[in-house]
Amino acid sequence: ENKHEEKVQDPDREKDKPKADMGSKTWADLAGEMKIFLWNPEERTCLGRTAKSWGLILLFYFIFYTCLAGMFAFCLYVMLLTLSPYTPRFRDRVSPPGVMIRPYLNGFTIAFNVSHPSTWQPYVDSMQHFLAAYDDKVQEEKNIECVPGQYFIQGGKDSEEKKACQFKRSLLQNCSGIEDPTFGYSRGQPCILLKMNRIIGYRPGAGVPVSVDCKVQKGNESHLRSVDFYPGNGTFDLMYYPYYGKFTHVNYTSPLVAMHFTDVQKNYLVPIQCSLNGKGIINDLNSDRFLGRIIFTLSIGK
Amino acid sequence: GLSSARAAEILARDGPNALTPPKATPEIVKFLRQMIGGFSILLWIGAGFSWISFGIQLAQGTDSAFDNLYLGVVLALVVILTGIFAYYQEAKSTNIMASFSKMIPQQALVLRDAEKKELPADQLVVGDIVEIKGGDRIPADIRLIFTQGCKVDNSSLTGESEPQSRSCDFTHENPLETRNIAFYSTTCVEGTATGIVINTGDRTIIGRIASLASGVGNEKTPIAIEIEHFVWLVAGVAVSIGVLFFIISVSMRYRILDSIIFLIGIIVANVPEGLLATVTVSLSLTAKRMAKKNCLVKNLEAVETLGSTSIICSDKTGTLTQNRMTVAHLWFDNQIYSADTSEDQTTQPFDQSSPSWTALSKIVTLCNRAEFRPGQENLPIMKRVVVGDASETALLKFSEVILGDVMSIRAQNKKVAEIPFNSTNKFQLSIHETADPHDKRFLLVMKGAPERILERCSTIMINGKEEPLDSEKAEAFQTAYMELGGMGERVLGFCHLYLPENEFPETFQFDTDSMNFPTSNLCFVGLLSMIDPPRSTVPDAVSKCRSAGIKVIMVTGDHPITAKAIAKSVGIISATSETVEDIAKRLNIPVEQVNRREATAAVVNGMELKDMSSEQLDSILREHAEIVFARTSPQQKLIIVEGCQRQGAVVAVTGDGVNDSPALKKADIGIAMGIAGSDAAKNAADMVLLDDNFASIVTGVEEGRLIFDNLKKTIAYTLTKNIAELCPFLIYIIASIPMPIGTITILFIDLGTDIIPSVALAYEKAESDIMNRRPRNKRKDRLVNHQLAVYSYLQIGIMQSVGAFVTYFTVYAEQGFLPSTLLGVRVHWESAASNDFEDSYGQQWTYYQRMYLQWTGYTAFFVSITIQQVADLIIRKTRRNSIFQQGLFRNKVIWVGIFSQIGIAAILTYGLGHVTALNFTPLRFQYWFVAVPFAILIWVYDEIRKLLIRRYPGSWWDKNMYY
Repeated sequence: ENKHEEKVQDPDREKDKPKADMGSKTWADLAGEMKIFLWNPEERTCLGRTAKSWGLILLFYFIFYTCLAGMFAFCLYVMLLTLSPYTPRFRDRVSPPGVMIRPYLNGFTIAFNVSHPSTWQPYVDSMQHFLAAYDDKVQEEKNIECVPGQYFIQGGKDSEEKKACQFKRSLLQNCSGIEDPTFGYSRGQPCILLKMNRIIGYRPGAGVPVSVDCKVQKGNESHLRSVDFYPGNGTFDLMYYPYYGKFTHVNYTSPLVAMHFTDVQKNYLVPIQCSLNGKGIINDLNSDRFLGRIIFTLSIGK
Repeated sequence: GLSSARAAEILARDGPNALTPPKATPEIVKFLRQMIGGFSILLWIGAGFSWISFGIQLAQGTDSAFDNLYLGVVLALVVILTGIFAYYQEAKSTNIMASFSKMIPQQALVLRDAEKKELPADQLVVGDIVEIKGGDRIPADIRLIFTQGCKVDNSSLTGESEPQSRSCDFTHENPLETRNIAFYSTTCVEGTATGIVINTGDRTIIGRIASLASGVGNEKTPIAIEIEHFVWLVAGVAVSIGVLFFIISVSMRYRILDSIIFLIGIIVANVPEGLLATVTVSLSLTAKRMAKKNCLVKNLEAVETLGSTSIICSDKTGTLTQNRMTVAHLWFDNQIYSADTSEDQTTQPFDQSSPSWTALSKIVTLCNRAEFRPGQENLPIMKRVVVGDASETALLKFSEVILGDVMSIRAQNKKVAEIPFNSTNKFQLSIHETADPHDKRFLLVMKGAPERILERCSTIMINGKEEPLDSEKAEAFQTAYMELGGMGERVLGFCHLYLPENEFPETFQFDTDSMNFPTSNLCFVGLLSMIDPPRSTVPDAVSKCRSAGIKVIMVTGDHPITAKAIAKSVGIISATSETVEDIAKRLNIPVEQVNRREATAAVVNGMELKDMSSEQLDSILREHAEIVFARTSPQQKLIIVEGCQRQGAVVAVTGDGVNDSPALKKADIGIAMGIAGSDAAKNAADMVLLDDNFASIVTGVEEGRLIFDNLKKTIAYTLTKNIAELCPFLIYIIASIPMPIGTITILFIDLGTDIIPSVALAYEKAESDIMNRRPRNKRKDRLVNHQLAVYSYLQIGIMQSVGAFVTYFTVYAEQGFLPSTLLGVRVHWESAASNDFEDSYGQQWTYYQRMYLQWTGYTAFFVSITIQQVADLIIRKTRRNSIFQQGLFRNKVIWVGIFSQIGIAAILTYGLGHVTALNFTPLRFQYWFVAVPFAILIWVYDEIRKLLIRRYPGSWWDKNMYY
């Protein structure tokens, strides 16, 4: 009945002859034991188990893991059922918004020589590529014109397709690449586009458009003498918000602010920080240097 | 005596008269050993890799390089802290011991510069003349040049319990046998002596034995072997999984540097950092519990050794017996009466109505020189200190118990003459006035060796009447004497004579030299027999040992008959078993014709043992279940211990003398007597019995077995979550998902939340009667067997991982990263430059936002493991029984563990959630419950496992699932 009693009655144990000390085993003995362990021809066991025993144990684990995998899948399925496909349950980790710039090639240093087009051409190509989606024609085709100065709130069901506001690249004026296809790079007055990260349902600025400003980050302030902002003095118009998510807000194009660095010290590495300003925007978090601001370096050679 | 100058010279030559303490390992070596032992080496490798990758990343200018530096530092700290802890524990347990060896500085009375001086004994040199008196410890080996009634107690050296008389005569070639040498560390019991120092310090006999003892190697304790085995197992798993995944990650085109970082994570996840400390704590808790039960454990690991003990070689005197002579039987009126021999007797139950008893009690009371020390009236009689030898003490206490105030009876019966006992007469005689004022006769009372007393008698008292001593009555006497002697008891005869008033008037002057009074034709009254009776708790303890499958072997210097009698009375030789001699006697055939296999018991004489080959000894140890070694010298103990160890047994040995120390050291666990034991014995032993009681060993065995079971549970508990810590790394490598758990977080589980619960398992009660099973087989019953590892790793561990991953995916999904998005996302996810990383809903994340989410994932994973570890803790309470059989609330410490676990997790999550370096974030409350279904699943599954094990013992399930 009881295992312990069984042990007591087990007569074999008395007869166990003491083996040689553990320590005095030679390598040859060990190798021999290993071989027996790997394949014991007498008892026809491999790794201490017979074929039947292996079969049983493998079958057990197969069933065990199948059930476990089933339970895992079921739990995930139930969890996913509770989620809305259009809006994530929590958005506390993704807001307030982060900031990115274009052109972005490899790193946050934009360095070129005006006299060597090959040094700035990649930036220009990147900008052109990025702005293709903002072509006036494309925007007019896909998106609607909205009322500036107020949030474009769309009611209806979550699953309903949402309309997106037009953001035409012509709004970027000197930085639109329409008049100057080199975005000022050929003149040493580069344009850099700044975009705010998309957050579903987020209404930046709480009624007042978020604006952008730039300054020299740690260094001689006089190195950055003038920056032009487009559109509208560097603000993100309220009408582009809120964002409704990629499934319903299919044609949404992030609004941009173009920064035209018209007078930057040449032949210097000028570190520049451009920040968002507005209610609810955080731009001074030490640990996150992309939250509400962005730091990049301009190095413009002659 | 020597002059001071000459003494100083010799002192300079020979060194002080003290034993060199055994060579101690330098503290720093001990410390360093802790630093590299066990898992430490793996963690050092991890730390080394961390620093290497830090160096490389620093050179490459990676932002996160410092993470690796910190990780390396943390790993090194973990090793150093656990090392310090282990070292401290070890030092603490050796300190208990150190207090033993600190002896009070001994003084010796020395003749120097022709003056008697008190000197510290370690200043003695060869040639000094020292004086010794009763009660002193002999300060060196000395040759006696003057003695007066000097007796020494050599028991610490030779094991003889009788005091030896010492004189100036050279009587034997062997220094141990000759009468004129007294040995260092023995004590002078009575008399005075003067002698010349012939050996000092390590050159004394005792010094030589002590160095012999230190020459006997210390065996590795069974639990040390088990832990080593376990460390190898876990390290093997860690290294093989680590290397396997290193190869996999390299072949999956991860950078070598990343692969190394994965390797660190795998090692850290696999190594149960806190476990060795937990084991130490559990062992020391048990040691504390045992100390309360009078077993003081010097070496922590010895706690478990006692549990796996399969043979106990026990002393007789003091361990099995009370170490004091007590009256056990009486014979008068042709009848044997038994006396109460228990430790705390207050009355004697035998029939005291016979007038013969009155006469006998008078002789017992009067013919006795022993006296109580004054001022002990309030103590129980048995505890009072008596001045006098062992038998007289026994008789005094016996009569005090029955008759009350013996001293006043003696005062009423004034002693007028006395002849003390001597070895030629073999009797003691005294003459008293009677208590009755009208009876002017003198009473002559005598006691002594029964046959000598009977010779002097012509009558015998039967029911108060003197009857002639005819051959029939003499025969009855002989039978009784043989019977009592056969029980191993020391028998004394008592007789008396009322001297006729006319021949011996009141004024008669008795002269003991000329013996002007009759010493024959006396009246024989009765016999009393005495024995050092077994302690009352011992028979029970011995039977417990027997049911626990432990063989108890008695090893004693006593006479075989006495030894056998005690062995029988405590059950070392059970009532039904016979020795070869018994069978021969019963069948009336010569000893040689007896089939030795029929005899379950054996009494082996030391003289026989001397001539035995080790094969013969082995066959005796194998063939007989019940063995008594009598007349053995302490040196032979070592031979017996070695014989037992050749049988593959784990041997416990008790001992008190210096000469026992080699055997104590050789034994797997040496047990020294706390009261009677010499310092040398205590030094050599692993454990000290504070009450010298054999029964305490049995409680020790019980504790030892319990801790073995509980350590199994602790290890099973601890190993389980290693898989839940390891899986994230493996899946991270293979599926390229964001890292589910951080290395630092793992350390917080291993060294934070899990510590108290795993210690709490040490308080778990036994599941069944652990004293009803055999001692574990050293080679088969491993602490960590493959069932334990497989069940913990591949079943419960995997369940935990699944539960934790569900939480992980839930956290990410609810923040916008659905499981499908997470697969294969690693490179982009971990790119610091990617600050508009899109989730499943089109939202864009900065790098830091993602990292913060990742830490939330760590925290969720951590919390899930913690919650499931609560379930793991509860299931580990039992290995076979249902939790409900064991009782959920019987072990309160488990609940302390559970609350501490959850408490620590809450503090880490909410309290330290803002310290970014620790990678914890405040977690939403609901995430604590995601893994709860899995915790319940673990519990239900384990209950089913246990149910099937109980239902179908010996089945496939039992064999594979019982650990």
